[in-house]
Amino acid sequence: MSATTLIGPARSRVDGRLKVTGAAKYSVEFEVPKCAYGWTVESNIAKGKITAIETKAAQAVPGVLAVLTHLNMPKFKEAPKKEGGGGGAGIRNEERFPLSDDGVYYAGQYVALVVAETIEQARHAASLVRVSYAPEEPLLTMEAAVRKADKPKKNNDTPVQINKGDVATALKDASLVKIEQTYITPTETHNPIEMSGTIAHWEDDQKLTLYDATQFVKGVQNILARSLGLELENVRIICPFVGGAFGCKGAVWMHVLLAAMGSKVAGVPVKMHVTRRNMFVGAGHRTPTRQTLSLAATKDGKLQAIQHVSETLTSPVGQFTESCGSRSTGVMYESPSIRVEETVYPVNVSTPTFMRAPGECPGTYALECAMDELAIALKMDPVALRLANHADNHPTKNVPFSAKHLREAYQLGAEKFGWSKRNPELRSMRDGDLLVGWGMATATYPAHKMSAAAKVILRADNSATVQCATHDLGTGAYTAFTQISSEQLGVPFEKVTFELGKSDFPFGPVAGGSNSTGTVGTAIHEAAVLLHKALAELAVKDSKSPLYNTKIEEIGMVAEGRIGIVTDQTKSDSYADILKRAGRDSIEVQSEQKPPEENKKQAFQSWGAHFCEVKIDPLLPRVQVTRVVSVMNCGRIVSAKTARSQIMGGVTMGIGMALTEETSYDPATGLPVIRNLADYHVPTNADVPEIDVSFVGEPDFAFNPIGARGMGEIGITGIAAAIANAVYHATGKRVRDLPITPDKLI
Amino acid sequence: MNDDLQPIDPSELAGIDPTGGLDELLIFGHPGTRRHFLKQVAGTSAAISLGPALMGIGSIEAAETDATSGGNASAAVTHVQLRINGRDHKLEIDPRTTLLDALREHLQLTGSKKGCDHGQCGACTVLVNGRRINSCLSLAVTHEGDEITTIEGLATGDELHPVQAAFLEHDGFQCGYCTPGQICSAVACISEGHARSDAEIREWMSGNLCRCGAYPNIVAAVKEAQSKTPAKAS
Ligand code: FES
Ligand code: FES
Repeated sequence: MSATTLIGPARSRVDGRLKVTGAAKYSVEFEVPKCAYGWTVESNIAKGKITAIETKAAQAVPGVLAVLTHLNMPKFKEAPKKEGGGGGAGIRNEERFPLSDDGVYYAGQYVALVVAETIEQARHAASLVRVSYAPEEPLLTMEAAVRKADKPKKNNDTPVQINKGDVATALKDASLVKIEQTYITPTETHNPIEMSGTIAHWEDDQKLTLYDATQFVKGVQNILARSLGLELENVRIICPFVGGAFGCKGAVWMHVLLAAMGSKVAGVPVKMHVTRRNMFVGAGHRTPTRQTLSLAATKDGKLQAIQHVSETLTSPVGQFTESCGSRSTGVMYESPSIRVEETVYPVNVSTPTFMRAPGECPGTYALECAMDELAIALKMDPVALRLANHADNHPTKNVPFSAKHLREAYQLGAEKFGWSKRNPELRSMRDGDLLVGWGMATATYPAHKMSAAAKVILRADNSATVQCATHDLGTGAYTAFTQISSEQLGVPFEKVTFELGKSDFPFGPVAGGSNSTGTVGTAIHEAAVLLHKALAELAVKDSKSPLYNTKIEEIGMVAEGRIGIVTDQTKSDSYADILKRAGRDSIEVQSEQKPPEENKKQAFQSWGAHFCEVKIDPLLPRVQVTRVVSVMNCGRIVSAKTARSQIMGGVTMGIGMALTEETSYDPATGLPVIRNLADYHVPTNADVPEIDVSFVGEPDFAFNPIGARGMGEIGITGIAAAIANAVYHATGKRVRDLPITPDKLI
Repeated sequence: MNDDLQPIDPSELAGIDPTGGLDELLIFGHPGTRRHFLKQVAGTSAAISLGPALMGIGSIEAAETDATSGGNASAAVTHVQLRINGRDHKLEIDPRTTLLDALREHLQLTGSKKGCDHGQCGACTVLVNGRRINSCLSLAVTHEGDEITTIEGLATGDELHPVQAAFLEHDGFQCGYCTPGQICSAVACISEGHARSDAEIREWMSGNLCRCGAYPNIVAAVKEAQSKTPAKAS
């Protein structure tokens, strides 16, 4: 019995009470007796060699238990180089082990670790470590790194250099209307309010428990086991709550390996809470991007060519590609010719990683600004231009999209926003002295599928516990999976306990790529089928059961708490009676982790439309976003309240991206000059207006049995473009490098 | 004497979000405890190096000078008695311990969160004598005699405080990590009389960052809790 309504119930979070009372335990909050503290020392040059490292003064500080540098760091066992995220292998964006040689590859790289009994001692001792360097000229810009540039063929198995039709000829066609512009996005840093952190606790020299703030307990388990040469089952990872992640807790970063090794050397458990300062260098960021868009369209607005050239950075010690073009232009509009080119430059800056909608987010910013510029060149309404180029089929794979309802999203969004009242003339709309601008953009994010397994324990009192090594990053996973379990198992919501965040549980993939609801939901569905079968097997052998001697295949769930003959529901039996008569207190089943089924006949992608209003004082042009309407088409929405919050969160982060967020680096030394929350401006309460979120469409059962395509990331796609387009409408100034700070509008 | 210290990154000195809802930093805790504090750190150079902190600089690191000049002074512990959520706790701690670290690392009161350790995010907000402060910016030894309330002390038995209940109902959080700070801040915001309109709530709650972006729901929650709180005569 799968739910067929578009939107599930609006329940408060099942873990909400723990969160509002302060009882929820985040990783570094677990009480581990005799726990010491780790504190790092970071390089203040971007490239070179360590020539000397003086640790005596640090070692002399009372309470100091160990000082580790590349000179005395025990060796890690080798872990394989390139690993994907879908399987159990785990993710390493930075591939060099910490303190493994005298090389410095980026500013902020950890060059020493101090372990001491208290935070105060560790922090102070770390300040006494003296490092001497032989600096070398770092590569810091795309221009400087041009000889090392790489054009990867694929990103996570998906081709990223796309050539469809003849873009070059169309771009030269004098009868077409054309625009060509370059858009810049800066380095952005995730900055979840919970900084990354780990407690490493060795029970003996072969057994390690880590309380780690992670989006992937099974991945951490595997990487730690292999790096340290331990049996997989002797490494346990525990993480019931994550204080926000947005991608920066998906990979295993250096502090996790340092905590484990530091603890081994010091002989006590070690807690490492990454400082906010180091969250800007040691836990990933979104690479800056430079994207050049060339569009050509007929006079009535039919796209004939889209070219998207995207350039991004990575580090010398890691591999990460932000696929801006293939993940936006590669899926968005119908056009006879499409060309996407992606280039990655390795520079001496810390390693980037996926940040909420990696690729799609900066990609849709550039593409959707370019579409706005094209609409103006064509004197066409921006919504009408998008409708004219709507893609029913995947534009580069040429298969139909499943359950795509983007047209409805535009329509409902425009209606709710009042778009028809927009005067297209620039600087034409006012609120008193303030300039008013209205802009819109399309949002999109693919539906990803990974593999997972779930365990179900059903008890004779009709309660159930469901377990999977998945994660709740604030996404609402606890609530959504309790809901899915209740529906799939046929057990009342209040009687389901869903457990996650432990590597002991059946496999859950990285909580990334907005895959969890569908992937883990499918595993719960499969476990529910097994449960009903196991109950049926007991019933058909039991002469007191109305289902006695029935064929197993005819039996399925017919109502909450009951299995019966699917075609003749007068014959059914309750879970509780079946178990009681069999003398059982409980029954347990576990689904199998298998590679996800591929449907090559259809393409699965989520869609949406953002409409937004900005108000700007012409004298001091600070942009205030005053209204946002977002309409999303993501298949089934399992949990209405938490889903709305996810979209709001994406939009909020997009407001930051558009207007305030930037991590900048000293062009001479490569050191980040923005390394705290006073300088890195994430949106505050006063920056964010009411956000009107709605959902359209239908459950996408062609994608998975839950009908859900996921929605953690789509909210941030397109929103920066919608704001930039509104700013242009208000002021007549087109800012093509984010963030749109007041100086750029004067 | 300070040449052993790493230079303070000027970017860290920017201090407090100017739109923050905090009346003042209360680095020295309750004014009445100032003299006591100065006595406790006398004999070290901490009092001198805390100068910048007094000016609103968000770094406790300055206080470390005591150990560099005083040899093994970092091993010194000091005794402090803190009254938290109506209970007295006796602690032996390093005098450099912040109130936040005292709560989290010494008392296992991990409800108060560390989101920056620099007075820039509000995750560590607690109530001291009814006023909201950033506990990461305040040394524990300065709070003897103060009435400290943390998120763990708001509910009455099983019954949530109206602000907690409103956050739950309005989904005023996602990851929940900024939430204890938001809730403590909201309790004070309401009692300060700064929650009379949406615009006012937005402004006076802007010292508490929420990266998950729960702001509109936080505003709704504070508004509802405000409407259920009897108005305080001003
Ligand atoms: S931890 Fe105190 S303000 Fe951020
Ligand atoms: S709920 Fe995650 S930071 Fe506010």
